Amino acid sequence: MTDVFAEVRNVSKRFSSRPDFAERIAIRLGAAAQPPVVHALDGVDLQVRRGEVVGLVGESGCGKSTLGRIIAGMLPPTEGEVYIEGVERRTLAGQAARRARLNTQIIFQDPMSSLNPRKRVIDIIGEAPLAHGLIARSEKRAYVEDLLVTVGLDPSMAGRYPHQFSGGQRQRIGIARALAVKPEFLVCDESIAALDISIQAQILNLFMDLREQLNLTYLFISHDLSVVNHIADRVVIMYLGRIVEEGTAAQIFDSPNHPYTAALLAEIPRIDRRHRTFQTIKGEIPSPINPPSGCHFHPRCPFAMDRCRMERPALRTLADGRKSACHLNDLERRPDFDLNEKGRENAS
Amino acid sequence: MMELKTAETILEVRDLQTHFFTPQGVVKSVDGVSLTLKRGEILGLVGESGSGKSITGFSILGLVDPPGRNVGGSILFRGEELLNASEERLRSLRGNRIAMIFQDPMMTLNPVLSIKTHMIETVLAHDNVGREEALARSIEALRMVGISQPETRIESYPHEFSGGMRQRVAIAIALLHKPDLIIADEPTTALDVTIQSQILSEVQKLCREFGMGLIWISHDLGVVAGLADRVAVMYAGRIVEQGTVDEVLDSPRHPYTAGLIGSAPAANRRGARLQQIRGAAPHPLNRPEGCAFRTRCDYATDMCLKEPPETAGSRAHRWRCFHPLADAQLETLP
Repeated sequence: MTDVFAEVRNVSKRFSSRPDFAERIAIRLGAAAQPPVVHALDGVDLQVRRGEVVGLVGESGCGKSTLGRIIAGMLPPTEGEVYIEGVERRTLAGQAARRARLNTQIIFQDPMSSLNPRKRVIDIIGEAPLAHGLIARSEKRAYVEDLLVTVGLDPSMAGRYPHQFSGGQRQRIGIARALAVKPEFLVCDESIAALDISIQAQILNLFMDLREQLNLTYLFISHDLSVVNHIADRVVIMYLGRIVEEGTAAQIFDSPNHPYTAALLAEIPRIDRRHRTFQTIKGEIPSPINPPSGCHFHPRCPFAMDRCRMERPALRTLADGRKSACHLNDLERRPDFDLNEKGRENAS
Repeated sequence: MMELKTAETILEVRDLQTHFFTPQGVVKSVDGVSLTLKRGEILGLVGESGSGKSITGFSILGLVDPPGRNVGGSILFRGEELLNASEERLRSLRGNRIAMIFQDPMMTLNPVLSIKTHMIETVLAHDNVGREEALARSIEALRMVGISQPETRIESYPHEFSGGMRQRVAIAIALLHKPDLIIADEPTTALDVTIQSQILSEVQKLCREFGMGLIWISHDLGVVAGLADRVAVMYAGRIVEQGTVDEVLDSPRHPYTAGLIGSAPAANRRGARLQQIRGAAPHPLNRPEGCAFRTRCDYATDMCLKEPPETAGSRAHRWRCFHPLADAQLETLP
């Protein structure tokens, strides 16, 4: 299990608009400010081992989708390296680059906007393997019908258009399309967020079945902690472009180390949490254009110290093997987070 | 909970039917919904997309546009029938005694008007007060929903606020006239967990303080479990089960409710296959006869071809099913 499939090292991604000619002159003359830069990712290290499911969790704007796209090769990083099976992605060329791209497929949130409405299902799923020479034209129908069965759809539906399917069925088509080029690694970007609860359960079960049948590796990106808790072996928590904690699902969910993880866990709505008095971490998620100094979480953190305002905490491996980026770990006696409702109420 | 028993019933919906007459046929979005709400009570209305939960909310406010129409039933708001009330009367109630909060505040706030204009106009629409007083009340409402420095922020425009702050503004507007009833349609669905929690905590506090009735429409059983006193589960235009949160979530009688609870990942062992409800919700134009859930139900028999009547259990717990789950069957659920 130490076989690393994909790895990013010190990856950063910044987005900014390119000033046009007039703006460049204005900036040069000091009449206009530099265009704002969005720091989507800020020095992220992550390993995905072969055969494992890594859950990537965070709130909006934390960079989880950007990281997924960089690993999948859809976006180039501004800084840092992406290794796929030990080879830096940018050094790949020709046949090898193509194989690496095919080997990683991405499944999006909204199947309606990621499926071409003017194509039949057989072409949506069959186009890529045909174009890449994985199958012959004569094999296309049988190949697509096979895939439809794999994802739990009726093979006789191959001639239909996307609008003739329900949301859950469309997501299955999106999965079949990704599987059509025989990938080993799937990046699922909020792939079940838009579905109803009963359908979510069906698709999650499908992901777990496929993992067993096809030996897949997953990067499962979601804002929904309970979904990630269920499906992931290892969980990565992101906040404003940085990884704040990383560990096995049991470590993260049963005994969080980072105050942000603890706060997130305390906020998950769950059926067994009745008649709650909602207690919340204060403040809004800051803008990635102008992130806070030091630890990005310090303005909202109940345990923030002076050091947190000045110095960025490093993501360090702790005694139990997990990683956490928090200065509290350097204290002799770190404060306890009480995940228990009652404790939280009494504390306030 | 004790005071609720004696509290005034502010809303009583009986056998409400809202149908849409489309060229393809009649869509029975709401098909016989009955519910009651007392002062200070929070009712969670839960269902999947297309179950009719939002249309139920719109119907109470008389906001259903053609080709939709109320075709039957009754809506008593503090004893007054709303279904055949004049548009004038409804206007005087909407935003005043009954307020609504929508899912996407960007759609409900006018992008070219400042928050101040929105709020002052809302006050003046129903109360004959000066602008000064209207402004003071608006600032007070913003303060109540936890917006800091309301005196300066009230001058801002909707785009200057984040999603969570916009939703707070929408709630503040709904609170301006201290309504008796608020209908909230998935108001936190688009928000992040930490922000959702903040909004829920404000709403909960305000309901308790002012004794408003709140109908919280949501697809998320987890949110409703934490927030509501009672819950009603909708499927295909009908309430299939309702009762107190503890009754419904601890001992669901309808197989659909049990299925919903079972398919939540938190209810299952980590990594195990989730319990799932097979199939998908039927198309609204083409719902099965009798019990609409029977095509997806493991317990369905020929009996289910007829429409199941409402069965009353203990206290407030009621369900519509010929084969309600017994306590013994519930033990097999997680």
